[in-house]
Amino acid sequence: MIIYILVALMFFTGLYGIIAKKNIIKIIVGVNIVGYVTSLLFVLFGYKWDGIAPILTQDMNYSQFVERAVDPLPQALVLTSIVIDLAFVAFLAALAIRIFERYGTFDIDKIRRLKG
Amino acid sequence: MENKGMSEIVKGIARIVFPFIVLYSISLILYGHITPGGGFAGGVVLTGGFVLLLLAFGKEYVFHFFPLEIAKSLDSTGALGFLAIALMGLLGGAFFYNLLPKGTLFNLWSAGTIMLSNIMIGLKVSAGLFVAIVILSMARLIRTKEGLRYKQSGKEEDQ
Amino acid sequence: MNHLIILPVAIYLGAGFLIPLIARKDEVLAGIAGVLFTFLVFITSLFLSIDVFTNGRIVYFAGGWEKPLGIALMLDPLSCLFLLMTNTITFIIMLYSTVYMKKFTGVPYFYTLFMIMLAGMNGILISMDIFNIYVFFEVASIASFTLVAFGLKAEELEASVKYTVMSIIASTMITFAIALIYGLTGTLNISAFMSSSAGLSPVHLWFIAGLLLSGFALKTALVPFHSWLPDAHSMAPAPISAILSGMFIKVVGLYVLIRITTNIFITLPQIRIVLLLFGVFSMLFGGLMAYGQKNIKRLYAYSTISQIGYCAIGLGIGGYLGYLGVLMHFIAHGFSKALLFLNIGAVEYMTGTTEADQLKGLNDRMPVTTLFGSTGMLGIAGVPPMGNFWSKLIIIIAAIQAGYPGIAVLCIIVAVITLGYFLKLQRTVYYSRAEESVKAEAPKMLLLPMGILAVLVFISGILLIPGIRQHSLDKAVSVMENFSYTDIKTGDLQ
Repeated sequence: MIIYILVALMFFTGLYGIIAKKNIIKIIVGVNIVGYVTSLLFVLFGYKWDGIAPILTQDMNYSQFVERAVDPLPQALVLTSIVIDLAFVAFLAALAIRIFERYGTFDIDKIRRLKG
Repeated sequence: MENKGMSEIVKGIARIVFPFIVLYSISLILYGHITPGGGFAGGVVLTGGFVLLLLAFGKEYVFHFFPLEIAKSLDSTGALGFLAIALMGLLGGAFFYNLLPKGTLFNLWSAGTIMLSNIMIGLKVSAGLFVAIVILSMARLIRTKEGLRYKQSGKEEDQ
Repeated sequence: MNHLIILPVAIYLGAGFLIPLIARKDEVLAGIAGVLFTFLVFITSLFLSIDVFTNGRIVYFAGGWEKPLGIALMLDPLSCLFLLMTNTITFIIMLYSTVYMKKFTGVPYFYTLFMIMLAGMNGILISMDIFNIYVFFEVASIASFTLVAFGLKAEELEASVKYTVMSIIASTMITFAIALIYGLTGTLNISAFMSSSAGLSPVHLWFIAGLLLSGFALKTALVPFHSWLPDAHSMAPAPISAILSGMFIKVVGLYVLIRITTNIFITLPQIRIVLLLFGVFSMLFGGLMAYGQKNIKRLYAYSTISQIGYCAIGLGIGGYLGYLGVLMHFIAHGFSKALLFLNIGAVEYMTGTTEADQLKGLNDRMPVTTLFGSTGMLGIAGVPPMGNFWSKLIIIIAAIQAGYPGIAVLCIIVAVITLGYFLKLQRTVYYSRAEESVKAEAPKMLLLPMGILAVLVFISGILLIPGIRQHSLDKAVSVMENFSYTDIKTGDLQ
């Protein structure tokens, strides 16, 4: 139970970074944290207490493996999710470089030419 | 001055460590269907090796052996190879069908097309991340009369 | 099994990676390749729709792995309608953008990103389980972030940052919902989720529904979640604005919302009421904010918010007429909004500006552009005989029949407001006295796609003639009304 409370705490830290911070780089760090937290939650849902990693070796029979192994499906989905978050962060970093070139600042209060 | 790379100690160690990094990443990619790893993890480790060379030796040295244009072409080739493997499965009946012979369990040459897919993905990820990191780091801050601005060698798109 | 179903996604992905390989420095070759591949996919989707609308649903198992292990692809009349519309509009816009993109640098990368975005959009339409939808949705979204910032001017980058960060929040909520679905029921397959959702407590079910609804409502730009749209659609290059406003928010947002409310969460009728509220607020907000805009593309973006509100109202009302209104409105608005954005792009190509104060009297030197622009504006405002008139009429009748007369009155008021700002725009920009800023007529390759779209706007009403309607729209509506994913479980495979 306490694991889920810690996960929620980490999520709110990342969310605080996206919503309340004024520097674009800190917003990017917040996006990164939130991405990791959702992947972590996914893997955590497949966890079994005292489980082993879902790798089949040669000296293990199937029924024992199925009983004791952690669920491998969320781990496969998390691989995809990590790649997607990597693409988000890489693109935001490239955007932040070019925004600094045009506006001269990273402060989102000053990057506000579009109004109305 | 920065383009010439770092000190001699760093260059020497990078020269020694780089082949091991390449070997480790190839092992991750090729054994992807038996042990954890696979195309993506192997590709990221290979990119880490290239970034080590970039940091230790400077941009010109790395571009002498691995130009950016070849990296972009390898990127596209990896993706097209993966698509070709998937379409090849059509010959066996369905999209992505596992066509090649599946040997006995736990061997290297088992599980059909999965090893080929891993190789293609490893190629694509390493080349693609290398291009992305080079483009993101090519911006240099220079001091002009109006203040600071970025100078970029070559107008690249943020891809 | 019909193997054609994988071709749209496979061709677009192959095209997206072939173009940087062979045409990285060559704009003309990249343009020809782009037109060729979109034409191929257009022909494929024609064949697919002939098959689906006569024979019924196509189910295809990737890799030959049967249920419950395999990943299933499915094309039923609802998604086939969206597929045909998407590929038609895409082909027309690709013809336009071969000439329009001459004003930009790095054009082959534009075609690459465009192809990848289209691969993502087509992938959403053919996939059947929720994680597949999520992956293709992300592919399309990331490509669209890049395309909005393509011109690399200051305002475009700012608009893209706003769009990206808000979209990341939406995909976080959707990932959370998928994680909860997996954690509570132990499966990702929607038919199994439906059958075991009877065992979930209502709190869990409502939480998942709420997360999914808010995530996808952000991509559809319904009113509390709309603030990225005016910036992103007004600052993107004109063909990208046309595809974003015309098809992207409908495929990525509205299509998945239709699947969620009518096929997945059929045990929760409260979702309809929420959508109804969102739709009413969007309609009013978009219509009223469009009056004060000086930038014409921003005005069109607020008009998009207003028209998507109509679609959400139709979805919220439900029943045969409501669903028919949603589908008809989505078709008609797709054609006419794409026409309007291409039109303002042609004006911008010739004069260099999109501010309403600086453009006067375009009718004198650009008569053909003015004609197509007026057709588009009258189309969106809902003047008969164009398709939008019939769709708004159907939604209003559905509202009255379902017992919401207030909403019907609001729909009529907003239709009048829409007509108002478009007529004002026409008078000040098109039919006034000319100044020196207008030079000559737009090139023919920009006029031809606009002409095709104008003809389609005019004749899109024929989809409602009972003979044609039975074969196309009625089948899609019946999918929305009585389909549930548990049907696939017994397996009427082909």
